[in-house]
Amino acid sequence: MSGERTQTGRKRPRRRGRFLPYILLSPLVLFIGALALYPTIVTTVQAFFTVDPVNPPTRFAGLANFRALIHNPFVRQSAVNTALYIVVGVGLSTLFGLVIALVLQRRSRWRGVVLALVVLPWALPGVVEAVIWGWIYDATFGVLNSVLKSTGLIGSYHVWIGIGRVVSIVLIELVQVWQVTPLAALLILAALQSIPQEIYEAARVDGAGSWEKFRRITLPLVRPGLAVAMVESLILSLNVFDQVYVLNGFAPGGASIMLQTYQISFNNLNFGQGYALSLLATFATMLLSLLILAVVYRRVEF
Amino acid sequence: MRGRSGLRRGGRALLIALILVWSAFPVYWALNTSMTTLNGAQSVPAHFVPSPFTAHNYGTLLNQTGGGVGNQFWRSFLNATIESGLATVLTVAIALFAAYAFARLEFRGKRIILVAVLATLLLPVYATLIPLYRIMSSVHLVNTYLGIILVYTSGFLPLAIWIMYNYFASVPRELEEAAFVDGATPVVALWRVMIPVSGPGIAATSIIVFLMGWAQFIFPLVLSSDLATQPVTVMVAALYGQRIVPFTLLNAIGVLAAALPGVIALVLNRYIVQGVMAGSIK
Repeated sequence: MSGERTQTGRKRPRRRGRFLPYILLSPLVLFIGALALYPTIVTTVQAFFTVDPVNPPTRFAGLANFRALIHNPFVRQSAVNTALYIVVGVGLSTLFGLVIALVLQRRSRWRGVVLALVVLPWALPGVVEAVIWGWIYDATFGVLNSVLKSTGLIGSYHVWIGIGRVVSIVLIELVQVWQVTPLAALLILAALQSIPQEIYEAARVDGAGSWEKFRRITLPLVRPGLAVAMVESLILSLNVFDQVYVLNGFAPGGASIMLQTYQISFNNLNFGQGYALSLLATFATMLLSLLILAVVYRRVEF
Repeated sequence: MRGRSGLRRGGRALLIALILVWSAFPVYWALNTSMTTLNGAQSVPAHFVPSPFTAHNYGTLLNQTGGGVGNQFWRSFLNATIESGLATVLTVAIALFAAYAFARLEFRGKRIILVAVLATLLLPVYATLIPLYRIMSSVHLVNTYLGIILVYTSGFLPLAIWIMYNYFASVPRELEEAAFVDGATPVVALWRVMIPVSGPGIAATSIIVFLMGWAQFIFPLVLSSDLATQPVTVMVAALYGQRIVPFTLLNAIGVLAAALPGVIALVLNRYIVQGVMAGSIK
């Protein structure tokens, strides 16, 4: 009876609307085709051309753009800087995300409130967060200096951003970590909640302690969530721009690759080199994403 | 045994306190700074409550006369709301139809189209930024709402599709089959059955897309160079860079720019969490 109903029910729309799916999809295909896939193709192709609006026409340049980038000391510096942004960003947001997810996994009275506040930094614009943190880091009146001095950790107020390269990058990236951690926590939490409770019960019966349960059950089974969280924060830290732009401007000491791309393209109007650097960064994003997935991701089935 | 579990509970409470401070302190600090005078904000060591208290910074922003900071701020606030709002409506409308087709209809090329759309989720900003600027400038859509809205929509669609597709896939087919028996077309079934039962999914998608729009920076930085279309993020970054606006006022601007997404995140938290987690499990 119910099988028959299903058949008539499915047959009708299929016969009547062979083109219907394509009509429903046409706005999507138009948008993605024209404003995502086509631009990507343009970037890929024109990376091998000299594209200069002040000095047309566009002409084939072979690998000249790439050669120029490799010999540009600012580009090389920004690549090293970005590597540091990525290490700090992926490392800290995954660590903080895991800790927060483990805390949130336990049901308690406070869970709702904690969850709401934890998500807050994710919802705010990166630029606004950078402005807020810029004041926290302020060299003469910042609360970071105030707290560190009154607890005796520093003797006198410091200039945090713009002097030491590593310190600047770590502190700028910390602002992005603040924004990205909630996402990592939620992704990891989703993975934690999909682990069946019976496994823990069985381990408890076998006499496993908390640390052992964490190491032997939680950590292996949460790997899909960890992998997705790490890829998300990889993509964001490889693209880091808002926080660097606000807190460090174009100073080469902290410039990221995205900032260099912006500068080459929109300040120097050298679109060809901009495309080439974009292409390299896109490739780096994909390779590193695949690397993380290969190392961290494990298919888990219950 | 008892002492150990007490210790563990204490440790857990401390951890929760640390997480709360980490998440909320910067926002509190901006509020604190925005509600005091420049002298109060510049005290060494810092005051942890506004002293002396003043609402003067917010008063300055409410003052709409002339081309002052208040005027610029509200214009950019309005721009951001219009751009993210309309981009959200457009994105969700397109995503509803497309996600329904992916979740319920069988057709040639379905897998390829779905994979191509979702693959763009992995494209970094780099891949499209310069061409999008050049496309928009060649069709004279730089410095227009339409240009920004089109770019946002193309960027947000893949995620919106992914969340809506997962939501639709979780709705039992029996619900629509009753409608099909009555002779309904898929479009009618989508309209009469799917959309009404998918309220939470649509809410989650809309909220996440709106927040993403409100936070945009590099695209509007490139695509809108004047106040007519500049969203609040671009305006705030410019004010910060000029270093002429006092920090107390800058923090008040930051608080107001964070207020809309902040309130949405706190009040509608449930939908955001659902949306993010729904998109992640598969």
